Amino acid sequence: MWSRLVDATAPPERLAAFRIAVGIFTVTYLTIRFPVFWGLADKSPSAFAGVGPLGWRDEPLPDVLIKGTLITALAGGVAMTLGYRHRISAPLFAVSVLVLTAYRSSWGQLLHFENLFTLHVVLLAVFPAADAWSLDARRSGGRRRDPTTYGLALQLACLCVVTTYVIAGIAKLRLGGGEWALGDTLRNHIAYSAVRLDLLGADGSPLAGPVVRNAWLLPPMATLSLVIELAAPVALVGRRLRNLWVASAWAMHVGILALMLIGFPYPLFFVAFAPFFALERLVGRIAPRLAVHDEVSAASDTAEDGRAGARRPAGGIACVRSRR
Amino acid sequence: MRRAVRSTAVVGVLAALVAPVVADRDSFPLSTYPMYARNRSTEVSFVTAQGVRGDDDLVPLSLGTIGDSDDPLVVAGELRAAIRRDEADERCREIAARVDDDNIEHVEVVTERHDTVVRLEGGESLIRRSVHAQCEVDT
Repeated sequence: MWSRLVDATAPPERLAAFRIAVGIFTVTYLTIRFPVFWGLADKSPSAFAGVGPLGWRDEPLPDVLIKGTLITALAGGVAMTLGYRHRISAPLFAVSVLVLTAYRSSWGQLLHFENLFTLHVVLLAVFPAADAWSLDARRSGGRRRDPTTYGLALQLACLCVVTTYVIAGIAKLRLGGGEWALGDTLRNHIAYSAVRLDLLGADGSPLAGPVVRNAWLLPPMATLSLVIELAAPVALVGRRLRNLWVASAWAMHVGILALMLIGFPYPLFFVAFAPFFALERLVGRIAPRLAVHDEVSAASDTAEDGRAGARRPAGGIACVRSRR
Repeated sequence: MRRAVRSTAVVGVLAALVAPVVADRDSFPLSTYPMYARNRSTEVSFVTAQGVRGDDDLVPLSLGTIGDSDDPLVVAGELRAAIRRDEADERCREIAARVDDDNIEHVEVVTERHDTVVRLEGGESLIRRSVHAQCEVDT
């Protein structure tokens, strides 16, 4: 396991594909939520209590700074996605996103669905994620570094994902105990979510009522959810286990959305799971023209792997391949 | 990249991710992920705001009217925080200013305690209701 984490190799196209996926997701998210982030400038100052990187502040940031950060984040996000001046645009994007999401969570409600993509954006800012499939690569001819550099970035992204799920599972055991999995806790959470929406003038899930009336369904579902969260590290072990875990985790999020109308868009759109897969091959399949015309193609991937002394597994193994 | 550097990076990231759990302190973007982790009773207190018509009938308000947001987590969290800070009156006036219904005469910021399962089963679920603030709707 340790060697898989530390000695993994990957071609630059894989990290580039992850950069593009995270960039598109985050820029789209910021664009859709633009009114929410823009409106943070108008909130009551007394409600502010800084969290995370803003934990040192007990009063809101100046309005112009928040609005400027939002504009900077969008511009930096587009630049990072295109791989334009990555060494500047990616850190700028990361700092902007970190400040915006932390700021949004500083008004009395931590929004946990923004954690993982924020961590991934920060991670991408400290790695050379624009060595391929980028404007930088077109300009410079595409620098290729030690494949362990790209492998490490992807493995750390995977580590963020699996650790997040394990921590969520541990929290349920720590705070809820066995009752969470075997008792009525899940039923009560589903009922709580539906009634909360109802009392706040929104519609709850139409499935909440039928499921709560057939509560015998829920302890097995709760147990399965807990197993999925705690078993997340298996996704780092091998291809089949990775596929099984990713499919299970995604299905769990679909279930949460269906029963509680709580959407975690980052995993639901598969972007959270992107670093587990050889995305460059997928891109090569669905966009062959892109793969052919780009200077750094799937063919060079093979050469890179050979140089790194790695054996090409069928279809790419869990996260990225180990060098040893 | 040297192996020692890669090892340090892995250990460092893992330590940072686990640190909130060790410290038992939820934050952002490093978290203990406590959402929906606690056991929950069927009896729950909810904060919300409701419109009141001339005949004293209660009218549900929309998420946008209550919290100027489409996110129930944000709306409920901010309303709860306002009540905790003893700012329910101020929040009530903000909500009343967003009401766009001529039949609503005033707004109440309330905590209602419900049996959630009974409510989903179609029964009478309200156990207790307390009003934190009441304010007129300007017509």
